[in-house]
Amino acid sequence: MDTGGAPGPASGQAIIQVRDLVKTYRGGVQAVKGVSFEVMKGEIFGFLGPNGAGKTTTILVLITLLESTAGTATVCGYDLAKAPDEVRIRIGYVSQDIAVDETLTGRENVALQGHFYHLDRPTIEERSREVLEMVDLTDRADSLVSTYSGGMRKRLDIAEGLIHRPSILFLDEPTLGLDIQTRTRIWEYVRNLRDREGITVFMTTHYMDEADKLCDRIAIIDHGEIVAIGPPAELKAGIGGDLLLLEVDGRPAPGKSPTGEPDDAGKAVAARPADASDEAATAAASDEAAKFGDFLRGLEGVTKVSTADDGRWMLVVKGGEEIAPKVLAAVSGQGLVVRSLAMKKPTLDDVFLHYTGRALREDEGASGFLRQRMSLRRARM
Amino acid sequence: MNASLGLSGVGGKKTMSRTFFGDTWWVAWRELKHFVGEKIRILMILVQPFIWLALMGNMFEKMASIPGFPAKSYLDYMAPGVVTMVTLFGGIFGGMSIVWDRRLGFLNKLLAAPIARSAVVSGKMLAISIQSALQASIIFVIARLMGVSFHSGIGGAVMVIVLAALLSLVFAGISLSFGAMIRSHEGLMAVMNFFTMPLMFTSNAMMPLSFMPPWLQTVAKINPLSYAINPMRTLFLTGWNVRELVLGVVILALVAFLFGLLATRLFKRSMA
Repeated sequence: MDTGGAPGPASGQAIIQVRDLVKTYRGGVQAVKGVSFEVMKGEIFGFLGPNGAGKTTTILVLITLLESTAGTATVCGYDLAKAPDEVRIRIGYVSQDIAVDETLTGRENVALQGHFYHLDRPTIEERSREVLEMVDLTDRADSLVSTYSGGMRKRLDIAEGLIHRPSILFLDEPTLGLDIQTRTRIWEYVRNLRDREGITVFMTTHYMDEADKLCDRIAIIDHGEIVAIGPPAELKAGIGGDLLLLEVDGRPAPGKSPTGEPDDAGKAVAARPADASDEAATAAASDEAAKFGDFLRGLEGVTKVSTADDGRWMLVVKGGEEIAPKVLAAVSGQGLVVRSLAMKKPTLDDVFLHYTGRALREDEGASGFLRQRMSLRRARM
Repeated sequence: MNASLGLSGVGGKKTMSRTFFGDTWWVAWRELKHFVGEKIRILMILVQPFIWLALMGNMFEKMASIPGFPAKSYLDYMAPGVVTMVTLFGGIFGGMSIVWDRRLGFLNKLLAAPIARSAVVSGKMLAISIQSALQASIIFVIARLMGVSFHSGIGGAVMVIVLAALLSLVFAGISLSFGAMIRSHEGLMAVMNFFTMPLMFTSNAMMPLSFMPPWLQTVAKINPLSYAINPMRTLFLTGWNVRELVLGVVILALVAFLFGLLATRLFKRSMA
């Protein structure tokens, strides 16, 4: 596991410290397989990973709703296992469920939450005004939540998580199922919380752009393990440069294709002229591909050559703008035809691919789940 | 608690009992808000007793002429039965709210707060018993308006309401125990439906014990419903019987407390 980027425990500013945390559910499913990380005071820290990677489980352990199976964790200086109530009063939690009460007004929802944190009435009144203002709900504060839009409900939920002025706010998939304008607004609120109120934010997301734009540091989590941790820019730089995606006639990239039919395209092209033996042709094609790969690898500025998710050649190069024309010239010089050449800056998706060998796709499962929840909520009315 | 900081003074052992009662109240407050928000339900609560009393009263009117029947009219006999029946239905579905809260994620939010864990159960029980007390008062007034006789004055009326509230706590405790274990409302509904009719018909809510076969009489004697109906009926038909009343209150309170403990335990386990 790469823990690069995380300052050591000696820095003295870590507000969350997690060591070898394991959570195995009663059925035997191990959702978290020994993660260690630290969250610094005042940062926006993100857990990025696909659905089912163990993000929510980690949050539920950190907010004292689930007991860990093994490992230790301290939040705000208190051990989760020994002083859960001390932790609870210092943290706020906003789940992915948008768990606001429809039969109450926005203000009543916030006030009720204040009572659950044992604040007295004048404090609740004052803070309710404050947090509702913070999420721009002052105008609608006294309307029933059943009349709120999805985005308003989410904002109200965040306001509720702030009523007791927590040191850390836990946000589980804060923009799940929200439209793009609402997402951008939620990001703004989260940034303001950190910048103006100095609140540390621990969030999970499976949206790469969200992790990239919002988080100071992220941990990439897959199958219950942290595979990389650090600031998004650093993680992307860790790939080693820009990416060139190349397609060359008669020289398909070798190996894995996401459809599970390796070298299918290559076979079709290479097999036709040499009718004699398909196998021999395939071998020849892959031999040619390997040679061409070595040729690419030998070019100036190219540090890594592999096959992209969509079957194109993927080259990691230092300074894509200068290297791209050189690659084009070199390949043309071999008498080959370049069908396409694209350059892109690495994204967190590439980082995820780099560490896990898989693409982090935004699957429909999550929003389908949310739709079901929303319809359930309507059914309840 | 220090208002300016807002955080201090919470979580210490010595404040635990204070937070338990406060937390219980706020959990109950939310449930009561739901109750008040449902206009149709309140309408039904007002209409239902009329239907029950008018329909059942007329249907079984002849029973009062059977020798050995303990009341002058079946309506008089039936009124406390209707109070307990409505209380049974009100309490037995109390577990639904915990299933909903779990499903909608509200339960997690509640438990992320520093509230006493047991307050989740006790708050819901309190809300149900307040609703049942309210319903019992309404039925009582309607029954009196329909000419049902009553022989123990204002104090007796208060005791009828207290008995109904205690009885609803018993059923709420049972329902919440199942609600803590069963994750779907369909499942819980099925289990609770399984309970209601047998509980009803193995009690003397509708029919005197003496009209039942001996084995059914034995079942009726351990049915918690009987501990509410018997003293309630005495208050309606004859007047005060302190011994019976105290026995009823003590037994109901004890059973309610035990089911409350069980529900709390099962609930805590379900969150691990």
